[in-house]
Amino acid sequence: MTRNTDYYRKLNIHPSASEAEIKRAYRRAAKKAHPDVNKQEGATELFLEIQEAFSVLSIPEQRKAYDQGRDDIKPDDLPVKLATQFSRNGIFRIDEPQIIYAIVNIKVSEHIKKIEELPLNLAIVLDNSTSMSGARLGILKSASADIIRDLGEEDLISLITFNDRAEIVLPSQSGREPQKLINRVGTLYAEGGTEIFQGLEAGLEEIKKNIRGNYVHHLLLITDGHTYGDEEKCQKLAEEAARRGIVISALGIGNEWNDQFIDQIATQTGGMSLYIKELEQVQPFFRNNVQNLQKAYAKQLILEIQTAPDVDLLSAFRLLPEPSPLPDQEVISLGVLNQDQPHRILFEFLVQPIAPAVERVLLANGMFTLKRKTGDLDLPFLLERPTLTEGEEPEPPPEIIFNAISHLTLYRLQEKAQLDLDQGKPDRAYQRMINLSSHLMSRGERKLAKIAMQEADHIKNRHTFSPDGKKDIKYGTRRLMLPG
Amino acid sequence: MINCKICKNQEYVGAFFCSECGSQLLSDQELDIDTLVIPSRDGTTEPGQAKNPGELAEGLSDFGLYNADRDQYLEIPSSHEFTIGRFVEGQVITPDVDLNPFEAYDQGISRLHATIRYVPKSQNYFVVDLGSANGTFVNGYEIPANSEVPIKHGDKVKFGKLEFTVLIPE
Repeated sequence: MTRNTDYYRKLNIHPSASEAEIKRAYRRAAKKAHPDVNKQEGATELFLEIQEAFSVLSIPEQRKAYDQGRDDIKPDDLPVKLATQFSRNGIFRIDEPQIIYAIVNIKVSEHIKKIEELPLNLAIVLDNSTSMSGARLGILKSASADIIRDLGEEDLISLITFNDRAEIVLPSQSGREPQKLINRVGTLYAEGGTEIFQGLEAGLEEIKKNIRGNYVHHLLLITDGHTYGDEEKCQKLAEEAARRGIVISALGIGNEWNDQFIDQIATQTGGMSLYIKELEQVQPFFRNNVQNLQKAYAKQLILEIQTAPDVDLLSAFRLLPEPSPLPDQEVISLGVLNQDQPHRILFEFLVQPIAPAVERVLLANGMFTLKRKTGDLDLPFLLERPTLTEGEEPEPPPEIIFNAISHLTLYRLQEKAQLDLDQGKPDRAYQRMINLSSHLMSRGERKLAKIAMQEADHIKNRHTFSPDGKKDIKYGTRRLMLPG
Repeated sequence: MINCKICKNQEYVGAFFCSECGSQLLSDQELDIDTLVIPSRDGTTEPGQAKNPGELAEGLSDFGLYNADRDQYLEIPSSHEFTIGRFVEGQVITPDVDLNPFEAYDQGISRLHATIRYVPKSQNYFVVDLGSANGTFVNGYEIPANSEVPIKHGDKVKFGKLEFTVLIPE
């Protein structure tokens, strides 16, 4: 930080400005100076200065130090740490477009030992259609009972079942009398079809009863079937949930549920979608999911990203805490930020040829907003790279980026195979699965390689994936992206 | 743009993998990523070591390829890396190991079919298909051309139609 810069002046505000005023002033100034809008010379520099000013003033600890004229802000003082890495140390000066990958990592600093506990506002939405009867429903009952037992004093719970219609089994309430609630859950039985919209709507209504409270709002959806005709309505609900800070996590059991649809609902809200093949996995998943929510440092982490002119964001993929594609939007809800689980996002940018005079290439500017009990925290960040001088050899890519891209490529191969099938090209899908299998093999993933090979055969003979194999491959290649 | 050597698809500069077939676009050497899961080619020929005839390359002494149909071992040179193929009169680049004694032509062996490589650092063996006409298979799976595929004791490696069992005694 340079002492002779007046950050307040840069943002055109008084040194006594409130946090909200700073944020407003930043948005105003950044909008005016953004290279997209401001075509004057020096616009990029001005924009970077505004970014710098805000990145200091937006964090109370840093602002205090700045006000006192101190330069000794240690990154350790900050409650949250941001780190970025790139696939290349610089941008090539070439007359064709180029790709550069960036990883942004955000985690709660280690020195934050005691977190301000946020109570949970949880809705469990259970599919109790006929196909759930027997072992499946039995396991779900015990898993729900586990959650009820684990609830804290302040936590709220509701439980909704759905088949052709929804039933509010437990309206939103505290879990202070767990046995009573567990007994009620024990009476559930299975009947009817699967209409996810009914359950989702009723579950969200229960959560919304306490939406104003300082809670971690979460809906846990469990289904084993296909929903028909109400996908679009569900999508709308998910969008609304995301806006209101409700995260939806979804769990698919068996092989009949619609993975594309479930993924969309979950990623829209920053939740995770998981495929459960063995029933024994249900209980640990339930428990982990709720325990993670109870460790939330921020009840919602929101990412805003805006690319520079001549730069396109081709894709954004979340690697941690649970790998999943991110929706193609400027504002993305990422769910809770946990004390011991960082979030890590991989961005893929396409950069158009750069002007000869440019020495720093701005890729994108972004901001994480943490919704905390003690108030929102804004963490702006810039993604920029210097240009490489002619003949300069780029440094090798960091291992973490290379591996992430390597595994993402495999995940995309199975997605493309599905696309081939949708377009009536089973031969291409077959070849892709053969390629996928050999790549998996060369990475030592024998089990997945074998499944990919079986699916290739299945595609060859029947022109479709097998219902099991498709999900095994999809969620299997996705999990490869988890480090270690 | 970069051309994928395997499926000829075009990718932007800066990409590391072909989005169509999944192959790595740049060689490990070009990327210089020797700490990665995919071992680098750098470690394979340490100066003066592999090229030194008479001296057995470390680790390679026991490596064997066994053909069960003929109950026959393949004669393998003692270097960290050798090519396998079918020798033809007048050929400019000849394979280190000639499969003509195994009726190479009928078995669909290309002139330069594959490379076997030993990486001392990780003590792993790899097979690389050199773009052969009839392919190289590891345990029944066809491997993509020009990428290193690890092989271990007991694996079945097939060049065209000719199958060998990998023997790497402990």
